[in-house]
Amino acid sequence: MLTYTLKRVLQGIVTVWFIATATFVAMHAVPGDPLANQRATNEQIRLNLEQRYGLDRPVSEQYLVFLGGILRGDFGISFTQENRRVNDIIRENFPVSATLGILAVAFAALGGILLGALTALFRDRVPDLAIMFLVILAISVPSFVVAAFSQLMLVDINAYLGFSLLPVAGWGTLRHMIVPSMVLGLGTMAYLTRLMRSSMLEITSADFIRTARAKGLPPARIFLKHQLRNAVLPVVTVLGPAIAAITTGGFVVELVFAIPGLGRYFVEAVQQLDYTVIMGTTVFYGAFLVSMVIVVDLLYGWIDPRVRLE
Amino acid sequence: MIPAGDAPVLHVKDLCVEFDTHGGVVRAVRGVSFSVRPGKTLAIVGESGCGKSVSVQSIMGLTPIPPGRITRGSAWLDGIDIVRQKIVNGEDVRGNRIGMIFQDPMSALNPTMRVGDQIAETLQVHRGMSKRDAFARAVEVLALVNIPDADARARQYPLAFSGGMLQRAMIAMAIACEPDVLIADEPTTALDVTIQAQILELLKELQRKNGMAIVLITHDLGVVARMADDVVVMYAGEIVESGTVDDVFYRAAHPYTVGLKAAMPSRDTSKAVSLLPIEGAPPDLFRAPEGCGYAERCSHAMALCGPHRPQRFEVDPGHHAMCWLHHGDAPQRVDAVYRGGRT
Amino acid sequence: MNVAVRFSPADFAPVVAEQQLQSISRPSLSYWQDSWRRLRQNRRTFASLWAVVTLGVLTVAGPWVWRVDPAVQDIDQISQAPAWPSSALIVPSYTPWVAVTAMPTRQGDAVTNLRLAESASTQAVRLVWEPVVGAAGYVVYRSVYNPAPDRALGLPIGEVLGADQVSFEDRLGLEPRRYWYSVVVTDENRAEQEAYAVLVIDAVRTVSAEDAELRGWVEDASALAPGEQIGLPYHPLGTDYLGRDMLARLLYGARVSLFIGVVAPLLFVLVGVVWGSAAGFLGGRIDQLLMRVADFVIALPFLLFMILFKIAFGIGPGESGVFPMLVALVLLGWPSTARLVRGQILQVRQEGYIAASQLLGARTGYLVFRHMIPQTMGVILVTLTFAVPSAIFTEAFLSFIGMGVAPPTPSWGSMANEGIRTMLSHPHELLFPALIISVTVLAFNLLGDGLRDALDVRMRGRE
Repeated sequence: MLTYTLKRVLQGIVTVWFIATATFVAMHAVPGDPLANQRATNEQIRLNLEQRYGLDRPVSEQYLVFLGGILRGDFGISFTQENRRVNDIIRENFPVSATLGILAVAFAALGGILLGALTALFRDRVPDLAIMFLVILAISVPSFVVAAFSQLMLVDINAYLGFSLLPVAGWGTLRHMIVPSMVLGLGTMAYLTRLMRSSMLEITSADFIRTARAKGLPPARIFLKHQLRNAVLPVVTVLGPAIAAITTGGFVVELVFAIPGLGRYFVEAVQQLDYTVIMGTTVFYGAFLVSMVIVVDLLYGWIDPRVRLE
Repeated sequence: MIPAGDAPVLHVKDLCVEFDTHGGVVRAVRGVSFSVRPGKTLAIVGESGCGKSVSVQSIMGLTPIPPGRITRGSAWLDGIDIVRQKIVNGEDVRGNRIGMIFQDPMSALNPTMRVGDQIAETLQVHRGMSKRDAFARAVEVLALVNIPDADARARQYPLAFSGGMLQRAMIAMAIACEPDVLIADEPTTALDVTIQAQILELLKELQRKNGMAIVLITHDLGVVARMADDVVVMYAGEIVESGTVDDVFYRAAHPYTVGLKAAMPSRDTSKAVSLLPIEGAPPDLFRAPEGCGYAERCSHAMALCGPHRPQRFEVDPGHHAMCWLHHGDAPQRVDAVYRGGRT
Repeated sequence: MNVAVRFSPADFAPVVAEQQLQSISRPSLSYWQDSWRRLRQNRRTFASLWAVVTLGVLTVAGPWVWRVDPAVQDIDQISQAPAWPSSALIVPSYTPWVAVTAMPTRQGDAVTNLRLAESASTQAVRLVWEPVVGAAGYVVYRSVYNPAPDRALGLPIGEVLGADQVSFEDRLGLEPRRYWYSVVVTDENRAEQEAYAVLVIDAVRTVSAEDAELRGWVEDASALAPGEQIGLPYHPLGTDYLGRDMLARLLYGARVSLFIGVVAPLLFVLVGVVWGSAAGFLGGRIDQLLMRVADFVIALPFLLFMILFKIAFGIGPGESGVFPMLVALVLLGWPSTARLVRGQILQVRQEGYIAASQLLGARTGYLVFRHMIPQTMGVILVTLTFAVPSAIFTEAFLSFIGMGVAPPTPSWGSMANEGIRTMLSHPHELLFPALIISVTVLAFNLLGDGLRDALDVRMRGRE
């Protein structure tokens, strides 16, 4: 188990390096002058700015500075807000995004596993058909539409009830987190439900389930210890990329629900071409995702012993 | 079939099983009856698709009920019809009074559970043992089936076991609660020849120790010769011949049994004599034949064999064959062919 | 079954075996025939196949049939909900109205007899009323809903000073709809009284002949006479906030969205197939290397890099931004297909029939084309079908956050983006693009599901 962990962590580090390099290359391929929107009124100020951001150095040196900064955990200074360090921006806003993302993933995973197991249990009966219908709907409607409509519905509900059942926007208390994380996790939950369902159905006809029945085990035990445990494996596999999808899809939800998270900051930075923020955020997000994927892989290794012994 | 005085430990009567498929209704088992004597081995022989696995799986309730259907029949285990009722006094008879092992040990065990835990499960459920006690007993049972280093092995996962060892583990799982009957569905088919011999030996030994009856399903006559006390030959969903192993081997009374034996290589066969395969294929059970299912391929078929389903004739005491050749009016010369099974 | 039947000796005569012993009970079907048959039987999938084909036809032929320019703005019908064709009444050009005066003779809190001086039209609404003694002036309100006692009176659109001024002409952005006018008396401090008079009117759409010619509804103004009706440009699905025809935008948007949604997957699946086949086939070090590269690309956070690529390639003025998005999608999308194909190839390589074929003397090329590619076709087809809705979503998403195609090029995503802003007042602007995105994605998803079931080798012949 230990070697497996080490191997994965090493791979992760290389991957993060690759992400950083790709980001650097991409940003330096962008046409245009990075300082174009600065108040560089005369030559002197411009030179100062260039020096400050290290733009007067050759590209290769900039790259090394960039990498060095990452290793130290320093992403530099924002282009558009010269007094703010990118690190601070990330540190202030990331926890919000992370909370949102984790809640959404938890919602998606638990909901998906539960609903998927239910559909398999009540196969071809009303609960199954109803859940699958909703699942197909959830997969087909774009997330931003869901976000907008849910907000709209919430406004109507609050108006109808006469008091604010759940806040329509903003962040801060647990109640603020409920609707946005549900909206964010909905698409993934639908996908996981389908996956869980097909996995359960496949397992049901597996040989070892037949053996379990031949052993005279009570159906509940077979369902929980044998079917569920094995059927959950594909869902856990997919959880890594699912986390990635949810985290990057967080932008929209943050925008619609006015949540002060990193995603919203990223979009603004992109629109304003704030280079350091873009690069820093991308690398940071990349590192975060890679570590999430590693955690999920380790979790998988814990559940399924076959993987560990490879 | 049953020598007088031995009440059978398992008695199956007139079992009929059908399946609904897109192409129609398949009548896979068409009136199967057999008995198992206590402490003895009954072999069910037949080619693939004859219905032997379906029969025993239906008795054990392992056949998926849609699309499958047990239209008739009963299986008496100690006074209870387990086709109708598997739970007796709140306890499931499966894994408890009647155990079963399967063909492919690699896929028959839960890959994410330790082997010892899987054996201990039956003890926890049926004997109410605590987790620790059950695990300790599981280790004992593993040792009983000749798995070396049983304690370490019990803590391992199925993927660490070889095929033969897994089969032993499965046997251990099935006999942990000391059932009266063990059903073995082609237990050696997926294994090497040498391992086969070991497994069969093991089964015999366990039978001696526990007085357990064994129902052994196989298509290999060699295994039958080695293990069986009684034999039942199945073809196209029916039992065409039944008797003791000596009856069936030395006094085969059905053309199919004779054909099986002729197709089987043995040490006595000289190089000059070629193996005789049985031409043709079993009938399509979408349209179950009206008469004898073997009539199309039988070289001794008579005019009435096609339209009329043969009766069950008692050829010797306890030895039955479903064949019109044993009707009083059938030509005698053919009858002689079957004594000894030589052309 | 044991019916006591009496048999005759003839019954026991031997039968001559001449029938076909190894007859084929059912005709054999090729893999594709079998799959197609199963696809047809699955009604849901077949319906989605039709839906996809219909979408394709709409995309290609739509703009030919519905020849309306999606960029043209119909100022008169901005943000209009879907409705039947409207028409306008031709009226003479606007002439100024002389204010009406009357001496107040009555006492009271509110004016009385509030009425129209002439029929209300979008050109002007002319009100007159009876004055009140003690009034210093009157304020006129206009509202689009009934100003019940506890509600506001609406928009104050004008004030007249002087007790004897009893008329008001409203020309402020009139639309052909119902309005409620309220008149309130003010005293010498210009404070308003509580009481008010209300008049409800329906403004009729009118246009002068000259204006009609200006807007291109008619060639020559002299052809029209007052009193005639002239039809307005018809917008079956309404218009957006700039007055552009929704249907035309949806059809042109289909071209953009489906172009990206279909071409990008085709391309990246192609790249993935080549890459994955090479890796699976060549094996060894090359396989490892190729897969490492693929893994790295997969590790890149997708959306972040989509955005980065878009900025990197830049959108010049006048460009639509379709091409950069296409490139970005392809660059980031190929690895998962490559992995899938590689996995399939590895699996197929181990199959017995490959070895058998080689023993019979088959060359590599033959093996690849005759055996391996057909085996992987199923997986590739399914991947493709699921990649399309994914690409459409991504494009819609990017357009939604402003990182997609540049205006005025319509795409379903950008239309949804614009529609969100007016979600509460004009829901149709969001509803239509959202609906068509959902339907398209749904159709492709169902189709992919059905294809997967139909092409699943394990289910073959299980009937």
